[in-house]
Amino acid sequence: MSPKNVLIIGSGTGGILTANVLSKILREKIKAGSLKITLISENNRHYFQPANLDVAFRGADPSRYFREVSSLVKPKIDLIYDRATFIDLSNRKVKLANRGPVSYDYLVIATGSVAEPEAISGLADASLNFHSSPENALEIWRAINKINSGKILVVIAGVPHKCPPSPNEAAFLLDEYFRKRGIREKVEIKFITPYGRAYPAHGISEVVEELFSERNIEVVTFFNLESVDHRRRKVYSYEGEEHAYDLLISVPPHFGAPVVRSSGIGDRQGWVTTDKNDMTVLDYDDAYAIGDATNIPISKSGVVAHLESSVVAYNIASELYGSGDRYGYNGRINCPMEVGFKKAIFINGTYDSPPRRQVPSMVKYLMKRLFGRFYWNVLSGDFEWMFNLYFGEIKYMLKTRGLTLHEGSRQVGKEAETVQEELH
Amino acid sequence: MSSEINRRIVDARGSFCPGPITELFKAYREAREGDVLELLATDPAAKSDVQAWAKKTGSEVMGIVEEQGYIRIIIKVVKKAR
Repeated sequence: MSPKNVLIIGSGTGGILTANVLSKILREKIKAGSLKITLISENNRHYFQPANLDVAFRGADPSRYFREVSSLVKPKIDLIYDRATFIDLSNRKVKLANRGPVSYDYLVIATGSVAEPEAISGLADASLNFHSSPENALEIWRAINKINSGKILVVIAGVPHKCPPSPNEAAFLLDEYFRKRGIREKVEIKFITPYGRAYPAHGISEVVEELFSERNIEVVTFFNLESVDHRRRKVYSYEGEEHAYDLLISVPPHFGAPVVRSSGIGDRQGWVTTDKNDMTVLDYDDAYAIGDATNIPISKSGVVAHLESSVVAYNIASELYGSGDRYGYNGRINCPMEVGFKKAIFINGTYDSPPRRQVPSMVKYLMKRLFGRFYWNVLSGDFEWMFNLYFGEIKYMLKTRGLTLHEGSRQVGKEAETVQEELH
Repeated sequence: MSSEINRRIVDARGSFCPGPITELFKAYREAREGDVLELLATDPAAKSDVQAWAKKTGSEVMGIVEEQGYIRIIIKVVKKAR
């Protein structure tokens, strides 16, 4: 009998972690030859994307922030460098650009998101951004070094986008940079957002707006970017407003991966319709989606991809062992936001609890920096116990037949208790 | 030109960050004048956020209904500036 194949598309945080966690918890099946794990990676390199901020606003060297994908996945994983061109959910097959199709028993779509400035008229030519690549982030560093005075706009050009705190961080770090150069009073910094406040979550926005006010960063709200006229150096909104700029830094509109769009398995923006609890793709019990690729109404961030990967790995393991357990993601987010001058806050919440106001501190800043150093080890999946301890409940039991799979790491939530009561 | 009025349900329940209004923006970009959008949200801030946004965009809040555990906000896209 040929081994069952768990196929993972994408080698971002979610894809690599799912592969590594699965390889760890299903090692006996892999060893016995009844299971294989295949990871399709379009790129040889995996980038630590949060470092783009350091590249853009601190001039950090981009070559410090990537590793070869092959060095990050466990040896028992079948790593294929190729581009997925079509996902056929009905026939359990994925077509690749340079070789024959791959069949699967379980699929994990971890194809991420793509920043596309071309989606808005004039934006690609007019703006620089740190969301599409480290090389593009470096262009920002080069540009701000040439500026001695003028107007800089940080504009959110589409939602949702990767890392919700990152536009605020950009404004804070610009302020810090020009203060350090001693020319802050000659540079106007405007933060332009489609939301009604400086950060979408109320409690966090209060902190940001107070700091923006102290640092003389102007906030423009309810501005949904419609077009840019680079000749006149102006941005225009659907709401009928315009603002002039000398340097335009944008968070481009984001879309699902090309393979999701070409396979017709996403919504109009290319996000895969996904159950926000057990992470299955709508109408399929053998296909999952995680991270930026999904349509669930939550932050597109590394921490979300990370926590969802664990839920998916345990759900697949549960299916393979026939335990009947289903795990759910509770919507946990935990995103750091640097506010300049070596201070940060964490944006922390779940589906049921909104992020609360926090006091910026150096300890939180150091935690963010420390995580950056620890990141490559985290991808191994060997430190999930630590995240379980830190967050308390990364995943919870949606339902159980009472059989045990991994008793040590199980966190029983309200839903599971309800189901168990019914079973008893 | 078609005069058909579209009605779209935007389910943003469970979203606090980046928040339900994110889903509304997505729908608004694709909407045409006259379209009706129904936003479902669990975030209590959605009510005031949508009212402020509607005022800014000239959209009409046709109704706010308290459902079991969530709110349903009905918005008509009256005019798009550009």
